[in-house]
Amino acid sequence: MSSVRKTIVSNCEKKFLIKNLSEWTRLDGRAFDEFRKIDIEFGKDWGCCSVSLGKTRVLAQVSCEIQEPKSSRPSEGILNINIELNTIAAPHFESGRQSELSVQLNRLLEKCLKDSKAVDLESLCIKMKEKVWALRVDVNVLNHEGNILDCASVAALAALAHFRRPDVTCDGEEFIIHGYQQRDPIPTVIHHYPLCVTYSIFSGGHYEHREKYHLKIDFSDYIVADPTLLEEGVADAFLSIGLNAYKELCGLHLGGKAELTPDVILNTANKAAMRAGIVAQLIKDSVEEDSVKRQEKLELGFHKTIDNEKVVESIEELSLCLDQWTSKRKKNKKKKKQTKIFEENTIKMEAPRTESNLVAEIESIGKGSAALVPNDNRDNSEVWQASESEDDDDVMIVEQPKQVVDLLDIADSGSEEEAVIVLNSEKKSKKKKKKVKTEY
Amino acid sequence: MSVNDFVLPGDVVQTVKSVRGVTVVGPGLRQNEEKPNTLCVTQAGKLCFKEPNTYWIEGKRNRYIPKKGDLVVGIVVKKVGDTLKIDIGSAEFASLSMLAFEGATKKQKPDVQVGDIIYAKLLNAHREMEPELVCIDSYYKAGKLGVLSNDGYLINISLNLAQRLLSIENPLLRTLGKKIPYEIVLGVNRKMWLFAKKAKDIITLVRCFEAAENQIDKNIIEVCKQFK
Repeated sequence: MSSVRKTIVSNCEKKFLIKNLSEWTRLDGRAFDEFRKIDIEFGKDWGCCSVSLGKTRVLAQVSCEIQEPKSSRPSEGILNINIELNTIAAPHFESGRQSELSVQLNRLLEKCLKDSKAVDLESLCIKMKEKVWALRVDVNVLNHEGNILDCASVAALAALAHFRRPDVTCDGEEFIIHGYQQRDPIPTVIHHYPLCVTYSIFSGGHYEHREKYHLKIDFSDYIVADPTLLEEGVADAFLSIGLNAYKELCGLHLGGKAELTPDVILNTANKAAMRAGIVAQLIKDSVEEDSVKRQEKLELGFHKTIDNEKVVESIEELSLCLDQWTSKRKKNKKKKKQTKIFEENTIKMEAPRTESNLVAEIESIGKGSAALVPNDNRDNSEVWQASESEDDDDVMIVEQPKQVVDLLDIADSGSEEEAVIVLNSEKKSKKKKKKVKTEY
Repeated sequence: MSVNDFVLPGDVVQTVKSVRGVTVVGPGLRQNEEKPNTLCVTQAGKLCFKEPNTYWIEGKRNRYIPKKGDLVVGIVVKKVGDTLKIDIGSAEFASLSMLAFEGATKKQKPDVQVGDIIYAKLLNAHREMEPELVCIDSYYKAGKLGVLSNDGYLINISLNLAQRLLSIENPLLRTLGKKIPYEIVLGVNRKMWLFAKKAKDIITLVRCFEAAENQIDKNIIEVCKQFK
């Protein structure tokens, strides 16, 4: 390779993405504040963790060794975080060389995990001024499909939470390191679980896009959670917020150029806090689950997580894609007007999450997102719903709920709601309504 | 190693059928230097055989290696003088001369911008040289080659799927065509350009190809039959 490779996003991808964003749709059918599915798996070793966020995959491994402490902090252990971008992740990454991206990611991760003092470093001290444990987190990106940072921060934290170091005893002068068989290994103390949550910002009308693609867009900014590779490439800026479950800010980074008002950032940070809480809980749960598995001596490791589930799923998906399309056409012709009304109703329904006397119930799909499912719905297979919300071009979801969404109003309109569900079941549409993004 | 086995690089295919001493060897295989009558595997995947004498490997590899005569879709990365550098997903950018378009002369050059999508044919692919593309055939006609419109959308699919969709037996593109009028340009280098009138339709198509990715051909054919 003679020159340093640079990826380039083609004009047509850019144009298509922006056009879709201006119609409030994302290419993968997610809502703007919806995240991809996150999966945490642990390997056989302590501190080995693989996290997948959609198609992005990251592997983290924690290792430890005994070192002399830094003279400035004689009673504290050392934590190193190292993120590696290999050619495995994407062809344009070069291994062995520190790229700008990897330095940036490294720093952001450090800021989030190390500088927020999430790991109790004092407990890593063996003898003051002489011997402390040095933990090293190696984060390897296995596949790059956007938003490495979120994925890496989850992986690093989960690996740290999962890691156990060997026990050390001291008999006056000599230190004995006990193997895992001799004594139970000691878990790392983690005070809080800080996580990065990344948003991409498309400053739609401001800059070049409008002139370049002659799009008539007037709005402030699009803020999109958990950007994919393409969205990252097209976005004007990205906002990365490090937060823990207690809504404490552990790091904030705004890269690129975007004009954001303070309330937008505050708003986004609030949303991010919710997400961080959910993911932190997920990490705790999966570590717990893994330790139960270890106690019961069940089979561990990555090999058994590879299964055929995905293949089976996609047969249905393919036929649904084809099927959905035909049924949609018919429906559109007949009930175009009615669907409009549904849209309005469903928006209102979504606003109060706790409403339970409806015929439908809210079910969480993935983490940080919810779906509205009619109770009589037996089929839970995921239906592609992008067309659902956008088949009437004039239904600009955002503009409608301007007339402040009223909780009482919804309770009153309960009868309407039921009617909606009945109609739906008549059509036998196994529809699963994803949460419609509501912007205020 | 027999046909339809999963093979790894370094495996040797012992029994090789040939017609008058000729065996056609496809991607992932090469002649074994030690024993000229056997084949050496260079790629992990399934060993395939077609009567009477053709062998190749079908794997899940996702890096495109240019081959002479391939029709590819690429993105213009930069302009250097009279040549364009095009990303076709290979290790190195391919080069495309501005004069290799239909009707192009020194004075009249095609209007190509950085970031445009180009459908071209590989004129030259040698492992020690950068691949060379052209947008004309041997009669100086463009045919379907050239710059693609910016109204479409570009997606990446797997190498395997690209090959499968191109095969005549695969009904997916035809079945989709009955439902949605669309234009498609399918490069063997994992890139696919799509155009339909509505953005929604494009998304449906993308979704379909994603779903088809993990499918074996038999299932695709079956599903397509249902929706004829």
